[in-house]
Amino acid sequence: MATETVVEMAAELFPDVAIPTIHIGMATCGLAAGARSIQELVEKELAKRGIEARIIPTGCIGMCHNEPLVDITMPGKYRVSYRNVKAMVIPQIFDAHFVKGEFAKKYAVCQISVAGHTPYEGLSLMNETNFFKGQVKIVSSRCGLINPTSIDDYIATNGYKALKKMLFEMTPEMIIEEMTKSGLRGRGGGGFQTGLKWKFTRQSPGNEKYVVCNADEGDPGAFMDRSILEGDPHSVLEGMLAAALAIGNSKRGYIYCRAEYPLAIRRLRKAIADAHERNFLGDNILGTDFSFDITIKEGAGAYVCGEETALLASLMGERGMPWPKPPFPAQKGVWGKPTVINNVETLGNVGHIILGGGDWYASYGSEKTKGTKTFALTGSIKNSGLIEVPAGTPLRSIVFDIGGGMIEKKIPFKAAQLGGPSGGCIPVSGLDTPVDFENVVAAGAIMGSGGIVVMDESSCIVDTAKFFLKFTQDESCGECTPCRVGSKIMLDILTRITEGQGQEGDLDELIRLSMYVKSNSLCGLGAAAPNPVLSTIRYFREEFEAHIRDKHCPGTVCANLIKYVVIEEDCTTCGLCEPVCPTGSVTWEKGEVAHINLETCIRCKACVDACKFRAII
Amino acid sequence: MTKAEHGAALEITDEQIDQICEEFGNREGSVVQVLQIIQEKYGYVPAEVLERVGDDLGIPHSKMFGVLTFYSQFYQEPRGKFILKVCVGTACHVRGAELLVDKIKENLHIEAGENTEDMMFTLEPVACLGSCALAPMAMVNGNSFGKLSPDRMLEMIHQFQEEEASENKESVSAS
Repeated sequence: MATETVVEMAAELFPDVAIPTIHIGMATCGLAAGARSIQELVEKELAKRGIEARIIPTGCIGMCHNEPLVDITMPGKYRVSYRNVKAMVIPQIFDAHFVKGEFAKKYAVCQISVAGHTPYEGLSLMNETNFFKGQVKIVSSRCGLINPTSIDDYIATNGYKALKKMLFEMTPEMIIEEMTKSGLRGRGGGGFQTGLKWKFTRQSPGNEKYVVCNADEGDPGAFMDRSILEGDPHSVLEGMLAAALAIGNSKRGYIYCRAEYPLAIRRLRKAIADAHERNFLGDNILGTDFSFDITIKEGAGAYVCGEETALLASLMGERGMPWPKPPFPAQKGVWGKPTVINNVETLGNVGHIILGGGDWYASYGSEKTKGTKTFALTGSIKNSGLIEVPAGTPLRSIVFDIGGGMIEKKIPFKAAQLGGPSGGCIPVSGLDTPVDFENVVAAGAIMGSGGIVVMDESSCIVDTAKFFLKFTQDESCGECTPCRVGSKIMLDILTRITEGQGQEGDLDELIRLSMYVKSNSLCGLGAAAPNPVLSTIRYFREEFEAHIRDKHCPGTVCANLIKYVVIEEDCTTCGLCEPVCPTGSVTWEKGEVAHINLETCIRCKACVDACKFRAII
Repeated sequence: MTKAEHGAALEITDEQIDQICEEFGNREGSVVQVLQIIQEKYGYVPAEVLERVGDDLGIPHSKMFGVLTFYSQFYQEPRGKFILKVCVGTACHVRGAELLVDKIKENLHIEAGENTEDMMFTLEPVACLGSCALAPMAMVNGNSFGKLSPDRMLEMIHQFQEEEASENKESVSAS
């Protein structure tokens, strides 16, 4: 099967038989956790000990909660992965490998198999750990394992094999047929059949066509596309080449990437230059009469540009305003020519599908959503990071098996927010929802591009709804009234509610406005903007009512709606609340329940945030 | 043209603007890219530069202004040397990103989008930087910092101030 060779780390990735290899996670998440200084320390330690080793940067393997990650592959042995590597740990890890010839058990997460090498005893394989067990990695299979800046690493893991197959063994119709068989649907959230989209664009008359990659991943809480671009950029290029071959008459592609992803843009630039050098891009690719080139267009900060027609407008140098469809981009896109526009993850899957076959890909997933989907798992969850699971995996196993449950053991799960500003919240009762396009919509959210933000009981549902609406309101391009004005009025109502000024009838008004904005907005942004509000009212009506009627915030988030009273039974008399009070309103004696003087309290919430036992309500 | 007060600003001449426009083929489709390059060199897009670009590309000023103001990453005013991009996306929001923003406001006496008087810092809350697992996070001049706390944020600001001070000292002694 196409993926196994990738996950099982080809021996070609370790060409110097006698030299150890050290991989360091250098995606944005790794860098933010301090990977750069870890690399310097590793280099110093190597020099100090006089050891020769290859240091290789990798993308994100998905365990963002374990960053910085350092992997060590000794000659002939499996690759051992170390988590949360700090300065003081490096000498211990080095002692284990270079002095004792074993591994440092205390810091190792797992070992990754390498073809032709032997395993260590007493350390689980990557695929046996809880975090990876339920995952099937296809599009993210190279991320974190290979060096994303090395085209050789990509080629050693079946890279550009699909391109050769398409150029020399397949007709455009066969490519489209394979994509159709795979059932792959647009991973940006739209869910349109990729094969069908390519077929329509092929059928559109015109001798000049374009391929556009939508890398304008703007949903807050989503970073799947960033991980793929930073961890396996060539796979996206190969996907674009496939699209160009399939639609015909296409010599140019564009990648529209948001400017907030500087590292992704750098890695793409390098990948394009390297692909040129090997003639996978450029004129007469691999000696055929097929020529294709790719240009990167950087976004300039506008969320609406993730909407395909707005993206095309922006690409052509205009204000990024959407246009009503039809005409669809397949008929009239860049410069008025037929254009196929696909999301990063969609394109990243293509090479695997061409090699493994449409039927193989379709063997994963649920009835209507085939294959796998990546998710960015974040929020109040233990193992946050990037995961890839077969479509239809129940939300419960994503949150509790892979995600490891709540980060604070004592605070239970409240809801999972799926689909970002266009999505909704799924409560405890919906934990068994299979996560695919149809079932998530039935549960009141959307699968969207794949952001899952897990919330525990200490979060406020009304505040969350307000957060998302504020986001869409800010990002509304202003072209159509329902979105521009409707979202503003809704936000005003929600703000009132969170400040304790909620009135009877507010909820009915919110629902009425939601329906109006949904049905009358011009593009997807406005049409989906009310979703976070509707889904939260549907499942958490009591919490809204508590804010409106009782002027109380059960999650103790809305500062105005907290009573600032210490519950005696819950107070552990730890005293954490006392020193943080800026006005000295909290009094506490060792072994006594704390007390808050409401006359001098300025309701800043510092004590509430400091209390680990939720004893202040 | 007068030199901008922006810390990293370079002087840019009409000829240079013409050259940049020409490089992109004087096509209407390259407005965004041309403005991005100018901003990269300048730190912002001054009004007179915007006009010149419009003249070069044959685009009315009204339309140029429309494009400039549509995108949140174009600035019409100079900005600080260190751009504190604090992520206030979903994951960072639930992990207390607001506390970071408040700490900066309180200590540097600036509001969102404003510069400090000495043009050292600009506070810019942004929607999502895509490193949600390390929330709350911030990006300063392209470098990411994860798992921040308000105190750590403050430490970082002091560090930047110190770096800047020692740099200035060096350049004084060198001259």
